Parts: sequence; structure tokens; C-alpha cells
Amino acid sequence: MASILDGIVLGLQFGLLAAGLTLVYGLGGVLNLAYGQMAVLSAMAVVLSMEAGLAPIPAVAVGLAAGGLLGLLLDLTILRPVYRLHGEARVLLSLLLTLGMAFVVDGFLTWRYPTKALTLRIGGGPVEILGVRMVRGGVVASAITIVVLAGLIVFFRKTTLGRAVRSVIEDEEGARLVGVDPQRMLRLILVITGVLAALVAVTRSLVTPVSVTAGFELTVSALIVTVVGGLGSVGGAILAGVILGIVSTIAASSIGTVLSLIILLVAAAVTILIRPSGLLGVKE
Amino acid sequence: MLEVRALTAGYQGGDVIRDINFHVETGEAVMIIGSNGAGKTSLFRAVLGLLTPSSGEVEFQGEGITGLATQRVARLGISFVPAERHLFPRMTVQENLSLGAYPNRPDPTTMQVVLDLFPRLAERRRQHAATMSGGEQQMLAVGRALMSQPRLLILDEPTTGLAPKLAAEAYRALGLLKESGLTVLVAEQQVPLAMALSDRGYVLENGVIRKQGTSAELADDPDVRRSYLGIA
Repeated sequence: MASILDGIVLGLQFGLLAAGLTLVYGLGGVLNLAYGQMAVLSAMAVVLSMEAGLAPIPAVAVGLAAGGLLGLLLDLTILRPVYRLHGEARVLLSLLLTLGMAFVVDGFLTWRYPTKALTLRIGGGPVEILGVRMVRGGVVASAITIVVLAGLIVFFRKTTLGRAVRSVIEDEEGARLVGVDPQRMLRLILVITGVLAALVAVTRSLVTPVSVTAGFELTVSALIVTVVGGLGSVGGAILAGVILGIVSTIAASSIGTVLSLIILLVAAAVTILIRPSGLLGVKE
Repeated sequence: MLEVRALTAGYQGGDVIRDINFHVETGEAVMIIGSNGAGKTSLFRAVLGLLTPSSGEVEFQGEGITGLATQRVARLGISFVPAERHLFPRMTVQENLSLGAYPNRPDPTTMQVVLDLFPRLAERRRQHAATMSGGEQQMLAVGRALMSQPRLLILDEPTTGLAPKLAAEAYRALGLLKESGLTVLVAEQQVPLAMALSDRGYVLENGVIRKQGTSAELADDPDVRRSYLGIA
């Protein structure tokens, strides 16, 4: 039972991370392999702000703003040549450029701040949920994640802007015909998902330290969850995130951490074999 | 209202339409008839900015819109219903219609007008667009196009994939829209239906305009009768 609840805590964060990746892919055919690095850079912005004397909450605000800014920068700089391409060529170039950026960011961070990590502590003892004693940080992290995910769902279902974003995912030409500018929607989503990446880093740091080298692990987890959930599906990302979070936590506690990633990959591979379009993905 | 001058456009490997001249006046219904592959779709795509013209001009209400981005053309008041419809499949009828009014919130009066015109859409408001029949999808596509209260409605083969009865029903709706004052431009292979709706028409063959005239003139033209009306 404890592992299941811990798994849900981890899984919700997986889900949030994957939602960011899947939205950008669904909207613009752009696969952002520097997504984990965006989370880590935001985490470092929080660390540096706190070292500069800021209180934790304003420092977190700086981190979230940094995440959004990184998304905007991505849109304005290295994704420019990507936008000139279409279809598979676009996916491939976005993948290569963001992977390159991920290496550069990782290299810079390990060179400049090799030992830094973001750890946010929330005071108070453990909280009891369903008869299980949970670390307070994990409960707070999950609560924040659930609120944000709910907010995202409301944004996409109920607001004019959110529907416009979905219309581009559904049918780009149809979207343009009703007056939606796909490029602007993509920029908006890159900023929003940048903030989401920062939020994942912050909530993660309530449970476990987020080190400068965490980028690739975050990206890989997000990728697995995205593929299992179905590309372009936020609901799928959340569902797959929670399932894989539970699988991964149970595997880690019963077999060991080393094997849990392998089990995660096997679970992903099996899903793809049975349902190539993912749990809630659209069939092409 | 719409003025197209010497428009030439195509894809890599050659021009599909060449030196096209036509115009649509306010309140008119105008048809462009032609067989499959004559260039009707390419012509509309070039007008809408979905295909960049290699030369020529498009003017809408006195404003040059040649090569303008599609979403900007749409916001100027031209609604286009493509033959493939391009609906939002996993969104409900209601959401599809609401998006038609983008960037504004849907106007309740316009929504009611659309639902009165197509009562089937009212019955299926909460259904996903993808789960509807071809005829219903066509109604939704036209309904979505009307939500922005356009000045000009352009339809590319609105009867594609529709049974004869539904095709006639689609044109009945277009007739009502025209009567209410909407300017309509339609490309069609099912010429008799389009002819009954339109004031004037153009005949497009192999990417060039071969004939033009009022619907009555075209209906009397021996070539048109033979090729498009099936009358010897």
C-alpha cells in the first residue's frame, strides 16, 4: 500500500512532465529532448536565488519564470530552423537540436555547479493517508501537481484559448481556417510547458534532491510515459504516468532501483506492442 | 467583394491554375464548375493563402490579401469549407461550432441561427465530430464556418460523399443563407444543384477559365450542357 501511494506521488510528476512533452509534440511536431534540462535549469535558478538571499517562495517564483522564459527562448532561437521543415524531417531536426542543447546544458552545469542540487524541505511530521504514513513533502508535491493538472484540464476544455490550442492538435488546417495561428499557439505552449518543467523540478525537490545531472533521467522518464500514454494525449500522459510511477516504485522497493528502470522500459515496450498508439493515443 | 486578377499558382513541378480572373459581388452566389482535377481546389487554396500564388492578385473588400496567412484571411471575414472539411474530430459539435467564432466567444444568436438551420447539430451537440455521418459532418463544417458571421462563404464541393438527397438538402441550406444576404462562392461537380443556387458562374478546365456568364447563359451553352449537365 505504501509503495502504491509513493508510486502515485512519483507518477503524478511523471504525468505532468510527460504532459509537457506530449503537448509540444502534438501541437508542433517538435520533440523536445532538452525538456529535463529545462527542469534542471529552473531548479538551479531556484537554488541560485535562494543563495542570493531570496526566501523559498519568491525563489520558486523565479524558477517558474525561468522555465517559461526557457520555453520562449527555445521558440525564438534553436526551433526557428525546425519550423521551416514539416513532417518527419521536422521531428528529426527538433530531436537533434534539442538533444545537442541538452548536452551543452548538462556540460555547462556539471562544469560550473558540479555539486549543486535543489532540495526544498517542508517542516512538520509525516501525514497519515489511508492508514499509511506519508512524507509531508510528497503529499504537498502531489497536491500541487493535482491542482496544476486539474487547472490544465480546465484550461483545455473550457477556455477559448485552450480550445484553440486543441484545435491545432486536432487539425492544423482546420484551425487556420477558423482564424487560429498555429505558430502562436506553439509559442504559448512552449512557455506553459517550460513552467510545467520548472514545477516538476520544484515538486520533485520536496521529495528528493534534484541534482544538476538529473536532466536526462527526467527526459527519458517523460519520453517513456509519453509513448505509453499516447502522443498528443494529456489524459494519456497522466494515466500512464500514474501507472508507470506505481510500477517503478514497486519494482524499486521489491527488486531494487537498478532493475526498476529496466522494468519501466519493458512495461513501455509491452504497451507499444499491444497498443502502438499508446493507452489513449489516436490511431493514425 | 472578391476580386481575383491574373492568379497563377501551383505546386512544385508546375502551375495548376493559370491566369485566373474572376470576381464576386456582395450578395451574389457564384459557382465555379469543372471536372475533377480542373483546379477548383487549388484556386480556392490560393485565394485562402493555403497555397502561395506565383503571380496575380487577390483583393477582398478593396484590400490586397494575396499570399496573406490563412488565419488572417479568415479573420477578415472569409469562411472556407474545404471538401475534406477539416473538422476537429475529437472535439464535440458544440466545441467545433464555438471555435468557428474564434477569437471571440460564440455569439448565442448566431449559434441559434446555425442550430435552426441544421437541427441535427442541436441533437448531437455533445457528440464528437468524428462519430458523425458524412452528411452531419458537412453540416457541422458549414455551421462552423458560419459562426464567425463571415461576409463571404466559400465552399469546395460541399456535396462530396453525400447521397443525392443530402446533397439537395445541403443546397437548400445554402439557398436560405443566400436569401439572408450572405455572399456565396461554391465550386461544384454536381452542376445542376450549383446552377439552381448561383446567379453567375465560371467554367474551369485544365486550370484556366474557359467560359463565364449568368447561370441561365451557362445552362443554354451547348458545351456546358454536354459536359456538365449530361444533356446532348
